[in-house]
Amino acid sequence: MKKISIIILSGIAVVMLGSSCKKYLNINANPNQSTSSTPDAVLPQAIVYTAANISSFNDYGAELGGYAANAGGYGGFGSNWTYDFGPNDYAGLWSSTYDALEDLQFVLNSTQGDSLYPYHNAAARILKAYNYELLVDTYNNVPYTNALQGTTDLTPTYDDAKTLYPLLANELDTAIATIEAANTNVAEALTSGTDPLFGGNETSWIQFANTIKLRLIVRASAMVTFSNTTFDANGFLATDAVVNPGYQKATGQISPSWGDWVQTYTGGNGNRAWMPCTFVFSFYNGTKLSDNARGSVIYFDYPATPNNQLGVGLTTVPSAPATTNGWYSGSTTSLGSAPGIMKGPNMGEPLMLAAESYFLQAEANVRNIVSGTAKTNFYNGIEASFNYLYLLPDDKTLATGLDPVADAATYEANNATSYLVNYSLATTTAQQIEAIITQKYIALNFINSQEGWNEYRRTTYPKIVDGSQDGTLTFASTLSQSSRPDKLPSRLLYPASEYSYNSANVPTGISPYTSLIFWAQ
Amino acid sequence: MRKFAALLTVLMLYCITAFAQTKPITGRITGKDGQPIEGASVRIQGTRTGTVTNPKGEFKINAKDGAVLVISAIAFNPEKISVVASQGNYSLVLTPNANLMDEVVITAGGLKTRKKEEGYNATEIKGDELNIAKPVDVAAGLSGKVAGLQVSDVSGGVNPNYRIVLRGQRSLLGNNQALIVLDNVVVPNAVLGNLNPGDIATMEVLNGASATALYGSEASNGALVVTTKKGRKGVNQVQLSNTTTIQSVAFQPKLQHEFGGGGNGYGVTQDGLPVFSPIENQSYGPKYNGQMVDLGAPLEDGSQQMVPYSDNGQKEKFWKAGVTNQTDFSVTSGSDNSTLYLAGQYANVSGIMPSDQYNRTSLRLNGTHKILDNLNTTYTVGYTQNRYNITTEGQDIYNNLLNIPGDVPILSYKDWQTNKFGNPNGFENPWYQNPYFELSNNRETVRNDYLIGSAQIDYAPIKDLNITYRIGITTTNSSYNSWTGKFTYTPYAITASGGSKSNIPGAVTSDNDYYTRLSSDFYATYRKAVKNFTFNLTGGTSVRQNQSQNTTASVSGLVTPGLYNLSNSTNFPTANSNSYESRLIGVYGDFKIGFQNFLFLEATGRNDWVSILNPPNNSFFYPSVALSFVASDAIKALKNMKSLDYLKFRGSWSKVGQVNLTGDPNSTTFGAYSLLPTFSQANGYPYQGVAGYSVGNQLVQTGLLPEITKGFEFGTDFALLHDFATVNLTYYSTHTNNQTIPTSISTTTGFSSYLLNSGEVSNKGVESKLSLTPIRSRNWTVSVSGNYSYYDNKVVNINAALAKLPIASYGDGSGSYAVPGLTFPVIEGIDYSRDSKGRVIVDATTGLPQVNQSIQVLGNAAAKDQLGLDATLRYKNWHFYVLFEYRGGNKIYNAGGPTYDWSGQSIRTVAYNRQRFVFPNSVYEDPNHPGSYIANKTVVIQNGNGNDGFWTDQTENMGVTSNYITSAAFWKLRQINLSYDIPASVLRKSKFIKNATISVQGRNLFEWLPKSNIYTDPEYSDAGSASNGIGLTNLQAPPVRYYGGTISLTF
Repeated sequence: MKKISIIILSGIAVVMLGSSCKKYLNINANPNQSTSSTPDAVLPQAIVYTAANISSFNDYGAELGGYAANAGGYGGFGSNWTYDFGPNDYAGLWSSTYDALEDLQFVLNSTQGDSLYPYHNAAARILKAYNYELLVDTYNNVPYTNALQGTTDLTPTYDDAKTLYPLLANELDTAIATIEAANTNVAEALTSGTDPLFGGNETSWIQFANTIKLRLIVRASAMVTFSNTTFDANGFLATDAVVNPGYQKATGQISPSWGDWVQTYTGGNGNRAWMPCTFVFSFYNGTKLSDNARGSVIYFDYPATPNNQLGVGLTTVPSAPATTNGWYSGSTTSLGSAPGIMKGPNMGEPLMLAAESYFLQAEANVRNIVSGTAKTNFYNGIEASFNYLYLLPDDKTLATGLDPVADAATYEANNATSYLVNYSLATTTAQQIEAIITQKYIALNFINSQEGWNEYRRTTYPKIVDGSQDGTLTFASTLSQSSRPDKLPSRLLYPASEYSYNSANVPTGISPYTSLIFWAQ
Repeated sequence: MRKFAALLTVLMLYCITAFAQTKPITGRITGKDGQPIEGASVRIQGTRTGTVTNPKGEFKINAKDGAVLVISAIAFNPEKISVVASQGNYSLVLTPNANLMDEVVITAGGLKTRKKEEGYNATEIKGDELNIAKPVDVAAGLSGKVAGLQVSDVSGGVNPNYRIVLRGQRSLLGNNQALIVLDNVVVPNAVLGNLNPGDIATMEVLNGASATALYGSEASNGALVVTTKKGRKGVNQVQLSNTTTIQSVAFQPKLQHEFGGGGNGYGVTQDGLPVFSPIENQSYGPKYNGQMVDLGAPLEDGSQQMVPYSDNGQKEKFWKAGVTNQTDFSVTSGSDNSTLYLAGQYANVSGIMPSDQYNRTSLRLNGTHKILDNLNTTYTVGYTQNRYNITTEGQDIYNNLLNIPGDVPILSYKDWQTNKFGNPNGFENPWYQNPYFELSNNRETVRNDYLIGSAQIDYAPIKDLNITYRIGITTTNSSYNSWTGKFTYTPYAITASGGSKSNIPGAVTSDNDYYTRLSSDFYATYRKAVKNFTFNLTGGTSVRQNQSQNTTASVSGLVTPGLYNLSNSTNFPTANSNSYESRLIGVYGDFKIGFQNFLFLEATGRNDWVSILNPPNNSFFYPSVALSFVASDAIKALKNMKSLDYLKFRGSWSKVGQVNLTGDPNSTTFGAYSLLPTFSQANGYPYQGVAGYSVGNQLVQTGLLPEITKGFEFGTDFALLHDFATVNLTYYSTHTNNQTIPTSISTTTGFSSYLLNSGEVSNKGVESKLSLTPIRSRNWTVSVSGNYSYYDNKVVNINAALAKLPIASYGDGSGSYAVPGLTFPVIEGIDYSRDSKGRVIVDATTGLPQVNQSIQVLGNAAAKDQLGLDATLRYKNWHFYVLFEYRGGNKIYNAGGPTYDWSGQSIRTVAYNRQRFVFPNSVYEDPNHPGSYIANKTVVIQNGNGNDGFWTDQTENMGVTSNYITSAAFWKLRQINLSYDIPASVLRKSKFIKNATISVQGRNLFEWLPKSNIYTDPEYSDAGSASNGIGLTNLQAPPVRYYGGTISLTF
């Protein structure tokens, strides 16, 4: 009898257990992190992420493109000196850009066709095209059509860079159309908070899209066909496209370039291993051109700024300035709240300068891609460069006593004999293009250096003397192992992760000397 | 006191009443642990006269002088006493007969079984054996003792972390470490390192899953079932002991002592020799010549440090001798209805890293109380607290130490506050800090408090039915505070160093953790014997709940130097907190049939439901069957064989699994909330009141399942010639499927990892043990034993889309990988380009080796062969024990190796006397026949120095993983102990000391490494104790040896 009651009792216990079991185990909701989000919350971060990546692209462009060279006190430059790139060199550019693209893709996926979010959708699409152009210009063929699909495709195939360029131009057209078709009564406007790039100014977004499209077409129209080569009537960027969500000297919130190159938010040293390159310096100090105005806002202790040729060894090269650390701060004592390249820990991160927009238009004029006067755009570009450099960290206020218009005029007067400055002297198309690209190269110095490097590879401007050992005549490393006549590399390798995880698709046999980006020489 | 008096009276009484012919003999029989043996038989040889011992182990018998008393007791070896005229009282210690098949052991779920019934390999280790070398951590006492059990000290330091793996690794990224069960409660692995080894009564090592299938979803890795000591009826005793242990460096990396600071980068002499530099960290300067040279830049006061340019050997003396002091006490008591065990230990450790400290205090209270004849209660409570005060920059300090040329008087920089050349402002090296400054400026204090307890009721309402309810709790409460001090350099120091010395802003991190694990087990066992059969049925449920919470905050940029608080900053602290909860419900049954006490069949089944997976995938069934056949009982011919003590055959099959959403057995996330992708703020957000979220980078497969390990094992145990020889042999084979892998994927998918079920690993191996006891007499015991295990595991597949899976890897891609078709894990990395004969291809003009940039397999990281050899010698009161261990069949990547080369300290860099050299065993391409190669005897590498030459070249030397891969084999003298029991005759004078033992012992006293391993102990793992990515070491502190002495008294 006793036995039976025990069996019954345990039977009841099991039944009770069964019914409450489900409830007892239903505790797997994440109390720590969100498992969902909204376009409003993701878009601003994606914009700031893109800006952070641009800072890395600028480093890459500066280190390869003659803007920066190794500084004293450091060794281990390895492939920075030899150009014998391995798959781990600059691999972060690839992974971070795709990571930012995924955030943009989330915005696109969650806003597609939603009348509430056309502006979010368009902004994400424009930045997607912008980021993909960065990838193509660095790696040539990259996954696009099948990329960013998560588990749907774990090993995306690579799109041919030549077919990708027109697709990106189409995306920009779609974005512009989306903005223009938006129902302003329904659509949620971007604000200064959700749009740290243009503060919700949709005209600027359209101009930005137009300018990126112009860059694609200028760069590639010689070898690929674009389906639509007309541009929206809103025209091209006339102001700098600068991201600033409110960078400040605080944990994780410091302006990326400043944090990398000058000081961390706690006052620790930035990167001291690189210094101004002799090559680009020769465009300021009178060796090739004379540009004291911009030189002295850009460089520490200008014109006495130490500079070096990439590859020249340890001991003879001065170390970074002891007191201010930053090479790119136009002062010998104070840091921050200054004009120049490194303006302060609160400075914005330019995605595209107005100067670049003007120089692109000038080239487009020369090549009859858009109508207009190349000379006007050329001078506008120079003036815009002065203007950006003279702005304080807020990117709005000109530094006291600095006048970009007047100084640009002085610059033009001081270099009146050079066709690189005096556009009237550039009589041939080649000279005109050289002048435009060289001025662009100068304007992008340590700001968007990757574009300077791209344009060199496309046009071979600014001119260098192949194989020269003179640091003012070439920016190639003295220890270059490149087989090219100019002793420069032609591109980076795909990252090791692609060979590990997407080995069936990643192109093999890539050489850092002979494999070219499709538009490159 | 009353007791001593009574004993004294009794003794006196016996003395007075002594007379000739037959006289009353008294005596006391105890085990080695001093516990009395009740019911031991005392028989006069050649007669039928005999008696048995009482609960205090005492006996009284009348015998003539010259008679021989034969003492025997179940589970002990028989002994003899010769009665002599001068002595009327005898005390005797019996040695346990460890191989007795009837010994009762505790197995999975707290169920008891006899050894003969076990259908799988299990090894019982007594607490004394674990503690013979007096380690602070129990794990250290386990090394080399059990076939199939690999215990590795992965970290060194004041409280080394151990990785405990049975039968090799079977899970690619999940937990592979043995389950730890303490007093029948499954506890987090960290508990093992916080037990007082002296509290352990026995540890049952259950090698395979068949033995542990009843633990369900935690069972696949085998288990260590630890039972702590209990009081015993009629035994009241107090034990006190003190152990002092010294640690000193056992193996120094091989360094060069010929060249000092400088290098070709500073220029070359007329003879082409490198130039000296007073500030250079790289030792690629000229040969030492003993002349006085400048060291460092001149200081602000104009003084210039000068030293003789010669190696002063101080680098090796940086590590100091550490001291460990352990004080133990324990009280044992027991009456008819209750028993008590109360113990405490305080251990204080200082390590070889100067100023690193660790201490641990543990208390334990275990007891039983019989309430009714059929109602028993058992309780255990353990409280342990440990405290660390250590540097956070161990590896970096080592790095800095290496980057100091040999002529630098490092030891004099210890007083960096007072020695101006040791002070950061005046330190000679502008790029690397004074190691002494660094270790005092980067510290952490850690507090861990553990409370581990269980309460159990056993109730037998009717005959043959026993019901058990047990509740267990493990709770950890910990915090740490780590900080980097603020240091502001003088403007002179900054300028003089070219700005390389830059102000240290200082930082503080504070962390609080709390973790509780509750478990509740209820089971009933019903026994029934029907004719030749015995039936044993157990059914039960198990419920487990894990909870944890963690809060961390940190801030950088301190204001007031020396104040390490989150508020002392110009910045706001960043903080985050996480909480986790997981639950598990299990229902299980165990059915055992015995036939005539020689054939046993056991079947178990368990179903688990877990909270961390989604229904219906959160329910799993784990069955097992095991068969044991005691041939020596079943077959008459065998039974009658005098030389055969016993012979048992066993075999089992099981299917078990684990929900592997976290690979770390000590993880306090429990794998909870892993099923959905997450969003978190990134890139500095929130800014100015606006949030900004980023999509998480991990994808998760829908319908994730647990990993399932299916396997079988079979084996035999036998003993010959009255325990002269005992042998255990086991073969096992397992397949682990459905691995849960957060595999890296192409970032072009938008994500970087994908958590999915995929992959299969197979493990096979043998475990063997042979024990020989050639001499066993009253005065002498000699026994030797050896255990050998071999295993081979193989990654059968990972995933169609995955060529390989990184388990732990470095930035350059080198690391520990799983590769289909190969053993797990393998070391991968970069190698030189080689011709078909394996010779390195060099450039035909520069002589520089060409590097194959693709990551490739460079060796197997898992130790395949493991051999433990031990010997026990006893002569009268002297005991000697020694244990050696060998592991081999694997390779190790010394990831710290490039630093040795970079700094110019490694012995490698002087292989060619820093002159130009021909790369060894190299070839260059035949210019006339591309694709064929000519052996290179002539093309030299011109710059055979470092600094700007070959040895510090990232591409051609330091970045080539294969340069730093060596054999990981080792022989270690694991344990050695010599102890002396002070004779009872001496102790009797003290009137109150029952036993006293003095011992000296050592651990890891000697380590023999292959010549190629110039770096460090291959037991270390840079990936830590939780990671399966073994085979990687880095700049960990050198391995140490331990030696010391113990005094132990029993009252």
